[in-house]
Amino acid sequence: MEEAENVSAKSSQDGTGTPAVSSPMTGPGEAGLPGARSTEAGTADTAPADTAAAPANTRNTGPGRLLIAVYAVFAISATARAGYQILTKFSEAPLAYLLSAFAAVVYVVATVSLAKPGRTAFKVSVVAVLVELVGVLVVGALSVFDSVNFPHETVWSLFGRGYGFIPLLLPILGLIWLYRRRPAPLKA
Amino acid sequence: MDAYFYIILVVGLLSTIICVAAGIMKKAPNDTTILSVAAVELSLVVYLVGSVVRVASGEQIAGEPWEFWGYLATALLLPIGAVYWAILERTRWSNFVLAAVGVTALVMAARMNQIWY
Repeated sequence: MEEAENVSAKSSQDGTGTPAVSSPMTGPGEAGLPGARSTEAGTADTAPADTAAAPANTRNTGPGRLLIAVYAVFAISATARAGYQILTKFSEAPLAYLLSAFAAVVYVVATVSLAKPGRTAFKVSVVAVLVELVGVLVVGALSVFDSVNFPHETVWSLFGRGYGFIPLLLPILGLIWLYRRRPAPLKA
Repeated sequence: MDAYFYIILVVGLLSTIICVAAGIMKKAPNDTTILSVAAVELSLVVYLVGSVVRVASGEQIAGEPWEFWGYLATALLLPIGAVYWAILERTRWSNFVLAAVGVTALVMAARMNQIWY
């Protein structure tokens, strides 16, 4: 499902035939930048289908795909775990399990926004990944220094030790990737 | 840890090593890497069939049964998703996506063993 959306969105990227960017200011190089996001995937029909010329969204190809895949695995496992904890033993540690649920939401948002092309999705990705980084650092530190109040496991406990420290590594790699593939500044 | 776990341990690690090596060698996903992931799927199917037989013959799962089956169902979907993805974009990076399947299946099989016993 998501793949198909990506593909159609990608092709709509190439023909950014929106009035704002069809001025002579934008050369052929700029036309395909991720920032020039069409409002609907359906506009692909009206846009010239020139897939080979300009690189469209570059965040969900190459290493980005690996990043999205790992985020997806964490989104699924964190959601399942939080759902299980809340449904079966929520009263034991409401704070820890709400944190679990929060982490799950952050991973889902990060996965979806990383896979989506466009400037808005880029901003959402940055926020989600930053929240994830802060979350893993704060929860990790709290679970180390205040283990009495944080005895229950979350994805971010002990800096994600239960998950091979991948939760700590992932936002750092995510930020590097997002920085390297940041959209070009908007042209007036 | 039972035999099913060790099968997935060996197959999953081999698959991961093959896929990582192919990724490092800058190869696109090929028959070798995709078949190695298919082998992971096959060993998970063996786990599924074995577990169904064991439950049908009266064995009890110590932990939450639905948690066990949830893990197994998710694990079964992973190789399919990864291969689908690797076919959509045939670059070396897809081999790293494929490589993630083996390790993930291994971790999930370990968890399934914990739930069962």
